[in-house]
Amino acid sequence: MVEFIPFISSSINDTLASLAYLESEIVLVAGFLLVIIIDLFFSKKLPQMSFGLSMAIVLIVLTQNFTLLNLNPQVLFGGMIVLDHLSVLFKILFCLVSLIFLLFIRFNKSLQEHGKGTGDLYAILLAVHLGMNLMVMSSNLLMLFLSIEMVSLGSYLMVGYISKDSKQSEASLKYVLFGSVASAIMLYGISLLYGFTGSLYLQGPSFIAGLQNLPQLPLVLSLTLVFVGIAFKLSAFPLHFWVPDVYQGAPSPVTAFLSTGPKIAGFAVLIKFLILLQAIGIASNAIFTVLAMIAILSMVLGNFAAIWQNNSKRMLAYSSIGHTGFMFMALFVLPGQGYKALIFYMFIYVIMNMAAFLILDEIEDQTAKQNIDEYSGLGKQLSILMICFVIVLVSLTGLPPTAGFTAKFFVFSTALDAYNSSGSSVILIMIIVAALSTLISLFYYFKIPLNAYLRESTDTEIKASISPKTYLSAFLAFLLLLLIVFPSLIEQFL
Amino acid sequence: MLSFLIFLPLIAALLILILPNRIQNQFKYITLGVSLIQFILSLFIYFNFNSSPINAGINKESQFQWVEKLSWIRLDLGTIGKLEIDYFLGIDGISMPFLILSALVTFVATLASWEIKTKLKAYFSLFLLLNTAVIGVFCALDFFLFYIFYELMLLPLYFLIGIWGGVKREYAAIKFFLYTLFGSVFMLLVIIGLYFSVSDPVNGNHTFNMILMMDPANYADGSIFSALADNNLFGMSARLLAFIVLFIAFSIKVPIVPLHTWLPDAHVEAPTPVSIILAGLLLKVGGYGIIRICFSIFPDAAMQSAWWIGLIGVISILYGALNALAQTDLKRLIAYSSVSHMGFVLLGIASSTSEGISGAMLQMISHGALSAMLFFLVGMIYERVHDREIANFSGLAEIMPQFTAFVMIAFFASLGLPGFSAFMAEAFSLIGAFNSEQVNGLLPRWMAVLASVGILLGAAYFLWTLQRMFFGPTQLKGGDDWLSKLKDVNMREKIALVPLAILALALGIFPSLLFDKMNASILAFVQLILN
Repeated sequence: MVEFIPFISSSINDTLASLAYLESEIVLVAGFLLVIIIDLFFSKKLPQMSFGLSMAIVLIVLTQNFTLLNLNPQVLFGGMIVLDHLSVLFKILFCLVSLIFLLFIRFNKSLQEHGKGTGDLYAILLAVHLGMNLMVMSSNLLMLFLSIEMVSLGSYLMVGYISKDSKQSEASLKYVLFGSVASAIMLYGISLLYGFTGSLYLQGPSFIAGLQNLPQLPLVLSLTLVFVGIAFKLSAFPLHFWVPDVYQGAPSPVTAFLSTGPKIAGFAVLIKFLILLQAIGIASNAIFTVLAMIAILSMVLGNFAAIWQNNSKRMLAYSSIGHTGFMFMALFVLPGQGYKALIFYMFIYVIMNMAAFLILDEIEDQTAKQNIDEYSGLGKQLSILMICFVIVLVSLTGLPPTAGFTAKFFVFSTALDAYNSSGSSVILIMIIVAALSTLISLFYYFKIPLNAYLRESTDTEIKASISPKTYLSAFLAFLLLLLIVFPSLIEQFL
Repeated sequence: MLSFLIFLPLIAALLILILPNRIQNQFKYITLGVSLIQFILSLFIYFNFNSSPINAGINKESQFQWVEKLSWIRLDLGTIGKLEIDYFLGIDGISMPFLILSALVTFVATLASWEIKTKLKAYFSLFLLLNTAVIGVFCALDFFLFYIFYELMLLPLYFLIGIWGGVKREYAAIKFFLYTLFGSVFMLLVIIGLYFSVSDPVNGNHTFNMILMMDPANYADGSIFSALADNNLFGMSARLLAFIVLFIAFSIKVPIVPLHTWLPDAHVEAPTPVSIILAGLLLKVGGYGIIRICFSIFPDAAMQSAWWIGLIGVISILYGALNALAQTDLKRLIAYSSVSHMGFVLLGIASSTSEGISGAMLQMISHGALSAMLFFLVGMIYERVHDREIANFSGLAEIMPQFTAFVMIAFFASLGLPGFSAFMAEAFSLIGAFNSEQVNGLLPRWMAVLASVGILLGAAYFLWTLQRMFFGPTQLKGGDDWLSKLKDVNMREKIALVPLAILALALGIFPSLLFDKMNASILAFVQLILN
């Protein structure tokens, strides 16, 4: 104990200095507590106050993050956290996700009508947001695991928030079980890594040196175990099996959130490990081959399985597996090149995926239809909403004139550049699979406009009303059109 | 000027979207007005078009006319360098004729749209959006911009066929969409490969400028599509592979045998105005792409493949014509005749002689006008009695004399009667193919011989149809009911048909109207591909 005394003052100084960079996280913690308290005391009188407060908090966090852009990498809290440009970009992405998610909850019928109220959900969201922020910043394995668990626990609660029928309960239970097994496996991998190296600091010299001295088998084994945990969050092959059931069973806003927020955070963690692998000195070809295999299998599986789906949420669930595979292609960059294509794709992906679920939910609210073959004639009845849906689906397919095309184009560029510099044929095969999966995705995405516009409705007139969700999805669809003309609106920050 | 031409329909489409449904019957006049303005502007461009050799265009940026260039996307890609995408428009002798054709065909298609009775707001906005995309394709000189317009054509067309089409419209619409997208996703990969390889000599940025892509000196050493490096992909020269990918993408649109199967379905299911646009303009996008992109950017690979392209052209001519002979549906017959006629375009391009390419260009313009006319005529019958089986009609000449006169003009012009544009076009394509063995040794003479058999077959199916449907005693399947419905040509239809007939006749008698304007460009093009 005595020998630590000289270090106390310096570590206190370090902690105090570090706090200045964590303003947005502090705001989130304060907001989390505040929302709980307000919900406890004022939920009867001012039912929407916690919503307004959460919105305000996320907006504050967003502006704070903007001031941190183009920051030199800062090592904080004695190496537990590293704040750099990339992590700030991820944090801005999370703010976008949270903002849309909050609006989504606010105008979702089933959540608003539920007796429990939505106050807790806002609080959980802020906590999960905090967890995701820490996930992208942490550079210590323990910190990483804790933040991942924070996100996971929050997500479990969200999935089971209503549990109005057995299907939803099944979904949430499945998610909890699979999720905790995946976390346990990851923790096992982390403990192995710690055991081999005696260090938890991802970029620490002793950690890297320890791994370099390790024989192949234990190294691959422990990294694979860690990867299981990450792949679960990413919903990448072969840890995608939970996705369809959970996405279908969870309330639509939560599904939209799961398909964007935690997935993006998962990519941030994956990037950390890729940088680590490069630091250890594993040939980038070997890494690329493994990544390419996962990408190919995710794309093939996600896109082919989506063809057979009739439930629209299930279809989007499979398509999001395909998108994960596609985003893997943007990881094929050489050290120091940055992840511009990935971040750009993620921005667009957040907008289009959130919009897709918003619209599905709105259709369900207004017509109680969940299956694609029931959508016939909707183009006439919900005209504005369906036009937005077509734009969003075109963007998801990756066709002009939507920003989905620009995003897809940047990712293809990255992957082709990787092929150019490495000459690895797996990468080329991956690119071709990606091109073909675009074709397949057109087939299933366009089942929706096919039904909505090309077929006549069988049932009586549905009284369409224009709701806030319609405005929100129209705004998001408009963004998709705007961003193909002015991609620099996002690109200037990358 | 070109931007105005491109975005005028888009603005009109937005206007139509805003206007209330109450006045939906006026939307067609807005569309008609737009196409008239476009036609006048394109004529203005035609008369002010400088056709001297110093304005030949093709591979020299300074020689393009009506150029508009704005920088659009600049993305710093780190170690690879900077990416440069421009909003870059311009025309030369290869693209200018298509502007006039686009405006004219749109005008006719709008007049044919009188038969559309449902969901007018959606119909006319999609129609105008399609128009924007088509003109954009012909003007774009930046590959990225070109691709955006190229893909933009698909969506409106999918809905136009899918919503207002015939019985099997769902199948036809998605088949068309998937076919074309199949070609274009791989085209996207080639585009990306190209911009990695090509850098702007002025600032070293990776560029999408098509004109810079035509100069081998702009390719970085050892880059994937560099002619010097001669990389291999899947055991094949990378440039040849890229050429084949692009060629397939465009030839699906042309279409060539065996990638043509979407065409009869799409044509039969599509409503008349969409068929007109499809045959009159979209097939030409394929031919234009082959000239502007495939041959100009990969001339070396094009020369290697010329024999095969010529062969595909000949097969398309013969197979299309034989299929047309076997059709019982008049619209399907004309769809197959399109396949046959577009085969001459391929043959002419493959010959790589100035005669052949002039013939191919003239064939595209001529077929654009004639196929629009043919589909319009079929649409007239279908609109009146909702039937177009050849066997159900006989002796129409007696009850519809004016209609028969127009049909005869269209048929005789299409089968290559001297005095009409198709004759000049096919003759020049054949001369090119025939001379090729002597001039550059690319195509053997038997191809030209076989192709001329196609003209004979064309005469056979057109004349046989004429005889079956229009001559002989009047016999209609629908009896007196049909007799009362089969009214002769009305004023609106005359306004649509006459300009097309005039164009076909004018280009047949004075082909120099077109040849003079594009000669310099064609010579520059031939020089580019043969070096």
